[in-house]
Amino acid sequence: MITRFLTEVSTVFNPFSPKAKTARLFLSFLPSNARQTIKINTKMLPKISREPSFVELKFSKKSPPSYARPSAVLSLMGGWLTMGHFIEDGKQMKLDAEKLGIKGVVEEVDRHSRILSRQEELTGN
Amino acid sequence: MAPATSAAVTLFSPGDGHSLLSSGSQSELFEVDFQSSFKPRLFSSEQFNKMPSRIAPPSKAIAFILRCKRPLKTRRQYATAAAAITPAASHAQMTQGSPPIARYPATQPPSYKPPAFRKSQLLRQYASVLRSTPLMLLFQHNNLKSIEWTGIRRELTNALRKVDEAAAESLEEGIKFQIIQTGIFSSALKIVEFYKPDSETVTLDPTDPSTPSSAAIPVFKADGSDLTHTLSKAAHDATAKKSHALQPLLSGPLAILTFPSVSPAHLKAALSILSPSPPQFPAPTRRANPGWHDPPVQSGMQKLLLLGARVEGKVFDVDGTRWVGSIDGGLEGLRVQLVAMLQGIGAGVTSTLESAGKSLYLTVEGRRTMLEEEEKGPSEEKS
Repeated sequence: MITRFLTEVSTVFNPFSPKAKTARLFLSFLPSNARQTIKINTKMLPKISREPSFVELKFSKKSPPSYARPSAVLSLMGGWLTMGHFIEDGKQMKLDAEKLGIKGVVEEVDRHSRILSRQEELTGN
Repeated sequence: MAPATSAAVTLFSPGDGHSLLSSGSQSELFEVDFQSSFKPRLFSSEQFNKMPSRIAPPSKAIAFILRCKRPLKTRRQYATAAAAITPAASHAQMTQGSPPIARYPATQPPSYKPPAFRKSQLLRQYASVLRSTPLMLLFQHNNLKSIEWTGIRRELTNALRKVDEAAAESLEEGIKFQIIQTGIFSSALKIVEFYKPDSETVTLDPTDPSTPSSAAIPVFKADGSDLTHTLSKAAHDATAKKSHALQPLLSGPLAILTFPSVSPAHLKAALSILSPSPPQFPAPTRRANPGWHDPPVQSGMQKLLLLGARVEGKVFDVDGTRWVGSIDGGLEGLRVQLVAMLQGIGAGVTSTLESAGKSLYLTVEGRRTMLEEEEKGPSEEKS
């Protein structure tokens, strides 16, 4: 899953519902250092609630600086501090986790992330 | 030559490679025979040439050995040969029959799944954990690094140790935070919850000498179809189609925190370290516990997600877990509350019961005094 362009992830689920598996797995798919660049909100519903679980995502246009890309190392400190200052792509997704399943959610994220990465390459950053 | 106590002597002739095994008494016989009468005749050359002897004459080496009177240096005594004579049966063996033979060690009954597999042993381990822990928290761990695990475990241990010191208990060593394999754990959970075999245990121990030999040892079938342990086929079949309330939680990366007893004080300390929520479970302050504010611990803690708990066989969600942790004074506190409530009820009941008796007493007393007055009245009038 391409998580470079994600800036915000918020999930709501009731862990006692079998359909919450998608949202939980999505959280576990995020990389180990995801919390440095992605704002993650998790809301856990009580056991008896029947509200649907969903995954809400926000994308940025530029991928955040990472150790892997040498050009970004210089602006690394700035990148951490100005997490909120990324140019917002404006794209927000609210994915129905119960319907899509984990494969579907990953597919949706990847689809948009590939568009963004292509744009990034074309602009030459 | 050979001492009378030596049970067996092996004579070894290096020349032709023959070995002669004979008991001590026989070798003495040989010695006598060869030395006194038999030897000269046997070794006379004419006789030897005339007719072939039916018994092959002993070789020169053996003849030398047999002839010499000194105790032999080449003679060897083997312990195995000495043990060939069985000792007499003991008195117990004579009076009692031998006990029936067990087909397997009591600790290794035949199992449905191959017991050498890792997952079989994990199943046993999880079942034993589930049977022994009354309080268990379930966490989802999202890609924690080992340094983060180390930091979190360290902080948890420190916090629990403090609670131990305050309460003069020693629960900290029994509290464990471990990652589990969800599939095996869920089947272990089902076995623990749903599989209750009849408690008709086999008290007959074949290795016990007091067991009579005629006792019928339950014969286990080769496929292990009448065994009742965790890995048995019966346990598997009884739980295959059941579903537990904790089942939906058991997917994805999971870790469990197990407590050896229900201790809300320890639970509170653990919750304030692992998933602090300010009013009831405040995170430790930077001054009181600087280690908790280390970056690895912080990032690891953010990635831990409390999902639910299992308290004395009942399933609790996050709020329920926090409620259990917030019981003041632990189980003792609950008992005190209950006792106070029952005492209030008791006082009410006694006053109610007493009031009936009292009113009856008052009525009867009133009637008595009335009757007495009535009796007195006429007598006074008479007198």
